[in-house]
Amino acid sequence: MAQRTSAGPPGEPRRVAYLYLLPAFLVYAAFLLYPLVRSIQISLYDWNGNTLATWAGLDNYAEVVTDPALRSSFGHALVLVFFYAVLPLVIGLGLASILNRARVRGLAFFRTVIFLPQVVAMVVIGVAWRRMYAPDGSVNDLLRAVGLDSLARGWLGDYTAALPAVGFIGTWFEIGLVTVLLLAGMGQISGELYEAARLDGAGPVREFFAVTLPSVRGEMAVALTLTVIAALRTFDLVYITTRGGPGLSTSVPSFEVYNRAFQQGRVGSAAAVAVVLTLIIFLISVGITRVADRDSR
Amino acid sequence: MRVSRAERTANYVILVGFAMFALYPVLTILAAALGPDDTGRATSSVLGLHPGNFSIAWNVGHFSSYLATSVLVSTTVVVVSVVFSILSGFALGTMRFRGSTLLFYAFLVGIMMPSEAIVVPLYYDLRTLGLTDTLWAVVLPQIAQSVAFGTFWMRAYFRTSSRSLVEAARLDGASTRRILWSVLVPLARPAIVTLTVLVFMWTWNEFLIPLVMVTSESLRTAPLGLAFFQGQYTQGFTLLAAGACIVATPVVLVYLFLQRHFIAGMLEGAVRE
Amino acid sequence: MRSRPTTLLATAGLIGAVALAACTPGSNADNKPAASATGQVTTDASKLGTVTLTVWDQEVRGGQAAQIQELNKEFQAKYPNITLKRVTRSFDDLKTTLKLALSGNQPPDVFQANNGRPDMGSFVQAGQLVPLDRYAEAYKWTDRYPETVRNYSSYSTDGKTFGTGTLYGLPQVGEVVGIYVNTAKLKAAGVNEPPKTWADFEASLATLKAKGELPLVLGNLDKWPAIHVFGTVQAQNVQPDAIRTLGFGQKGGSWKTPENAKAAQTLVDWVNKGYLSKDVNGQGYDPAWQAFSKGTGVYLIAGTWLQADLGKAMGDKVTFMLPPSASGTPAATGGTGIPWAVSSKSKHPDAAAAYINFITSPNAMAVLAKNDNLPIADTAEQEATGPLGKAVFEAFGTAVQKNALVPYLDYATPTMADTLGASLQDLLAKKATPEQFLDTVEKDYSGFVSSNG
Repeated sequence: MAQRTSAGPPGEPRRVAYLYLLPAFLVYAAFLLYPLVRSIQISLYDWNGNTLATWAGLDNYAEVVTDPALRSSFGHALVLVFFYAVLPLVIGLGLASILNRARVRGLAFFRTVIFLPQVVAMVVIGVAWRRMYAPDGSVNDLLRAVGLDSLARGWLGDYTAALPAVGFIGTWFEIGLVTVLLLAGMGQISGELYEAARLDGAGPVREFFAVTLPSVRGEMAVALTLTVIAALRTFDLVYITTRGGPGLSTSVPSFEVYNRAFQQGRVGSAAAVAVVLTLIIFLISVGITRVADRDSR
Repeated sequence: MRVSRAERTANYVILVGFAMFALYPVLTILAAALGPDDTGRATSSVLGLHPGNFSIAWNVGHFSSYLATSVLVSTTVVVVSVVFSILSGFALGTMRFRGSTLLFYAFLVGIMMPSEAIVVPLYYDLRTLGLTDTLWAVVLPQIAQSVAFGTFWMRAYFRTSSRSLVEAARLDGASTRRILWSVLVPLARPAIVTLTVLVFMWTWNEFLIPLVMVTSESLRTAPLGLAFFQGQYTQGFTLLAAGACIVATPVVLVYLFLQRHFIAGMLEGAVRE
Repeated sequence: MRSRPTTLLATAGLIGAVALAACTPGSNADNKPAASATGQVTTDASKLGTVTLTVWDQEVRGGQAAQIQELNKEFQAKYPNITLKRVTRSFDDLKTTLKLALSGNQPPDVFQANNGRPDMGSFVQAGQLVPLDRYAEAYKWTDRYPETVRNYSSYSTDGKTFGTGTLYGLPQVGEVVGIYVNTAKLKAAGVNEPPKTWADFEASLATLKAKGELPLVLGNLDKWPAIHVFGTVQAQNVQPDAIRTLGFGQKGGSWKTPENAKAAQTLVDWVNKGYLSKDVNGQGYDPAWQAFSKGTGVYLIAGTWLQADLGKAMGDKVTFMLPPSASGTPAATGGTGIPWAVSSKSKHPDAAAAYINFITSPNAMAVLAKNDNLPIADTAEQEATGPLGKAVFEAFGTAVQKNALVPYLDYATPTMADTLGASLQDLLAKKATPEQFLDTVEKDYSGFVSSNG
């Protein structure tokens, strides 16, 4: 096998590449790759963080499946996926296609505003929404104003409503990103495709399903990946709004990691949860990309 | 394609509706921060607004210290990450060498890895080294995270940058270093600016890593300051809202001035070439 | 293009990394309990040289904040060589950050650590606290703090036994959980005097409800407030000694008794009869008592730490009483406020102890009383301010005298605060029956007790 590949410019030094890579890779390996390996290692032990650890084998992983608290935390993460990813995608598709069809003045301004939630610190978002969800907060005021008094409650303290309430914050957070993303993708669809569809007698709905939707497959995949990862990683929001309560109804895996490692002194179990969470994120990201790649022409 | 008047109006209505929806929580905080103190404390008002709340929150909540730390951390992470990413993105994007694909995938892993995966072992290992409760413990992990994305980002850019330019420069006898810094980087300004604002935003807003790595007050970052302020300041909401504004403003300001870069960055962020 | 050598290289690198990481976690940890210093204690803080003490506390509410600020000012004026760096947090935030801080490399010198096993107990086990016995002798704390009080902050040196042993903390204030009564509203509803027996109390709840008032205010979003309410009800049904066994996490108790079941059922009955607000788990603790101070609700079961804030807001419209007891000897949850402790990694333990001594001295007790707090020592010599203050002092004095104080239930095990907090929320929301509630709590308690040896 020839050592020199022909695609590079002539005289290109090869060793130098490693030198350029070194700073980035060193920091990255030391502070991201190595800890990941360590996480796996710690997850095989029972450790309280202070004294010597005892070997636990796969017990911590077994616990992830058997402990109802952990199982439900992963279940809650899936619920959040619906709110962070599915809902914004559906709403975003609708919103973006409406915007794409018509020439709207000041689109850039609207885009800036709709995208704004993405840049605000999650802690600030949590503080704002916690206030809005209070028994005397804006959400209840709004419900009372439209006559839905019976729905008003302390949202974050309600067993059934707390998780959807937190999820809805995620919906609010992600709609902007998804809409802007899809809009950018739709903007690249050639007008001829629409012409062709219209000539075939398609109305706006048909147009959407036949032309728009298939063309933004790539953007949809990106949107799904970003939002699903965001949903699974939720920590800041839960910490600020509910700390996992009421009871355990809003506990999520990343909060369990923090709680177990630094509050309860069950570091091995925490590491196992973290590893499982990371694995799930990988699988989903790769899965979404695979599906998108396979379908794209 | 003619769009009917009705449809136009409907579009505007929907747009304005969503804009309000997006802005409402932010406006809630702003309004509360500028409103009269809801614990009955008297503050001076200007045209019905009470900007004095901000200075009270600033003092009571020690936000000057937190902001200073956040600025220090964010600046350090941004500068180091961007430089490192340019270097590694350049290598991966323009040079062919053994293991380049493997290394690329290695960096890709880092983009998807949540902080939770590393924060536990990192805390205990850094504690053994005596590095917890120092800025290093906050800065270095975030540099690692930023460099993962940054390498991917700059590599994507450099791959599409003009091959002929590089060839021409090399034929002129320019060293690799010259090629990078004198030829490619000036042209890469938009991509670099985007990377800078994204890393700045992610670092400023980061919560979990500073929460775990640092216990000393003087090293707390702004989001943490806000979180503790929420628990500590139990009367009313006014000062908490003012604090929240203080914490969110820097990134929002940068966003408003450089929104094109923000949006472009996040959109193209994970799109595969 | 992935050539074979590269893949091999990658695998080799991975294996190498794992091998590197192969040392057992904790094998390099320094986990010996700190060697106790011996020898003379320097009690004159001015002779300790220039020192900076980092102090973490949770004295954020009205009266608490006032007293500690005043005392800190006096301390720094008296000892200009010692600078205090003070960090205040809410109770919850202090609990979470303290654990991380004490296991790190630069913990605060002096801090408030909750007495229970989740906090002080685990700190003692990890060797993170300085034993305070020699300071107790040098400063004569043993004279002014009765043993029953000191026991609340005492553990065996291995952290296994709670309630006796070595002293690890010293509190400033006493605490007792009782009933704040909005006397104006009570009268308006036709109940002329605060109830004198538990039966009267429960009857008054019904009367108030019938008159359209909110009988009992409770904001349980933070999970721990309901523990106090349950403790109050429990003390009406369960013998004090049994509660002490459960509360201190000692062997031989059980949650699965008919008396405990009755207490749990009472809470559920109260929820069903509408004695508590609809949103019990949705409202925060502070908004709840703030609403009470502004006229919502008639009774508030809470501790004496609210004396300053409620007294200021309600004046003579409010009074405080111990839970009235059927049998005549009231049992009430309480004991001491959160004690102050010293980190074993502190470089200035003597200065830290001097600070603790200063904020618990007779002078400090007077400052505490002046700012509407309940001093734990020399209580009889202190003047309470205002009618509410007098009621609080009297109640606490009675409770101590009659040996009627039982510990907070979340002291019992390292996870009890979480377990009890979460399952009480379940009970109040009727997601768990009293039976299930007791099962959950019993599991935590007995699991700990059997492994504790």
